[in-house]
Amino acid sequence: MTRTPNFVSWRAAILHRSDDSIERLKRQLERLGVTVLVQWKPLDLAETPADIVLVDADQGWDDLLPWDGDDAPVPVVALLGSEAPGRIAWALAKGAGAIMAKPVVAASVYPALVLATHAHHERTAVKARIAGLEERLRLRPIVHDAMRSIMAAQGGDEDGAYRTLCRLAMQRRLTVEHVAAAIVAGHEPVPRAM
Amino acid sequence: MAPPRLIEHGVRVGPLFFEVGVKIFRVGILYSTTGPYGAIGRDCRAGAEFAIEELEKAGSPVRIEPVFGDPAGQPERYLDLIRSMLRDEGCRNVIGTITSLSRKDVIPLVEKYDGLLWYICPYEGFEANENVIYTGACPNQHLIPLFDYMLPRHGKRVYLAGANYVWGWEMNRLARELLMRAGGEVLGERCLPIEETDVGLLIADLERHRPDFILNNMIGPSSYAFLAAVKQLAARDPAFAPERCPVLSCDLTECELGEIEPGVAVGQLSTASYFESLASFENRAFKQRVAARFGAGRRVSSFFAGAYAAVKLWAEAVSEADRDDPASVRGFLHARPRQTVLGTLAIDPRTNHAALPFHLGRINARAGFDIIASHGAIAADPYLVGTLPIQHAPHLRVVQ
Repeated sequence: MTRTPNFVSWRAAILHRSDDSIERLKRQLERLGVTVLVQWKPLDLAETPADIVLVDADQGWDDLLPWDGDDAPVPVVALLGSEAPGRIAWALAKGAGAIMAKPVVAASVYPALVLATHAHHERTAVKARIAGLEERLRLRPIVHDAMRSIMAAQGGDEDGAYRTLCRLAMQRRLTVEHVAAAIVAGHEPVPRAM
Repeated sequence: MAPPRLIEHGVRVGPLFFEVGVKIFRVGILYSTTGPYGAIGRDCRAGAEFAIEELEKAGSPVRIEPVFGDPAGQPERYLDLIRSMLRDEGCRNVIGTITSLSRKDVIPLVEKYDGLLWYICPYEGFEANENVIYTGACPNQHLIPLFDYMLPRHGKRVYLAGANYVWGWEMNRLARELLMRAGGEVLGERCLPIEETDVGLLIADLERHRPDFILNNMIGPSSYAFLAAVKQLAARDPAFAPERCPVLSCDLTECELGEIEPGVAVGQLSTASYFESLASFENRAFKQRVAARFGAGRRVSSFFAGAYAAVKLWAEAVSEADRDDPASVRGFLHARPRQTVLGTLAIDPRTNHAALPFHLGRINARAGFDIIASHGAIAADPYLVGTLPIQHAPHLRVVQ
């Protein structure tokens, strides 16, 4: 980790009934510069925006967090006393990237924020990468169509056509798939010799 | 849990005699006086004992019956000793632990028995516990002001040497981050096992990289062996003389200079929130009392002074609260700054850490430090929430 993680001015939503342990958690979060909201009702991020959510995984029910794991819009920390696999599964299904054992001890708070935030960003980045790859896969037939048009116009082979396509994409500052789509749609003239 | 013993006592002021009740509380003093950091532990214990004696002499309304524990540098013994202090011996307050390993180990027990641990050593930060009072410096009170001073004067090409545990790792990590932010460069980094004294590879690495200065986060015998080896290196290559390539520590004090071969570390630098050579009125009076009690040759380190100050802070808070439970002690400690041998000392209610002055000392030929730079009390920022520039979310870069 090259940069020290810093949570100043973050907003945390703790979804848990208030008790001494939760009060201690709230004070520890405030020491890290985090503003804290404690509530025991379903979270509405539009009404009460939060940068991180800490949820009671012992008693939490599905509607408490209006999302499923992969779609968690913010990092999630599970507050867990139970060891029941079902409760751990619930926490995972809601996107928890870290667990704080109950009763919460001060030393577990900062590491859990760092882990949950890291897990969330990693998941977001992987999702974006997969979406990009799927888009490219979807456009693969169009790339082939464009290559066939270029081969016909240039009288060359597949490798030459692909190189032409890549060069054109670079010149236009577009992806290969976008240039191919433009050629197939007739928005871009079929390149001859380059 | 044993209640404080009450003894009737009187104080004579001129012709008047005031009857007062004196309360005696049991307080744990948990330091290793042998083992790799035994010199530090002996000074901590001596400082605490000296303050306890002074409470007696000064007729303080609260006194300490110390319960000593000496884990002899064995990590597992800290747990048994502190458990017995808190559970069986009636201690609510324990002054002690030196390494972060031991502090982290005992904290769950301190929390369990709702005690208060007084931690007086410099450490790597990233902790703030309601059951701990921290009067030792964290990085924004030692490493960061040290780099603020050094980088413009000595250059930004730095070699990092450390002990192979959390102090060494985290100090080196933060040093790397500070250098990156300042456009500097880490030329090399090497961590040695805590008691390793074979520093040959480290010295060879230094010769190859030729840094502007060296950050030394080793402790005990490794650190002493390293300083001796750097001295030999400087004898054959003047580029490594302390005035050109100093070795910087954040925890080397007067109490350890006696453990190092005389003269070996002269010219090297260390930071502390207290040096024996401080010219303050409080410190001069303090040193006179130390000399009267231990003899003129007694060295005073920040560990001795820190443990002494912790006992005095404890006594002020407990006599105001008239009880020694953590909530009451914390409340009175937080209420106002207090005069100590380290200077005026305020404990931040948010972090339980003391605001501390920063001093940079250069080791002199008399096994003491000449203070070459100082900064007034700096509020502790253990999680570096306000000291490092904030990056806005998403603040953690995903490593590709």
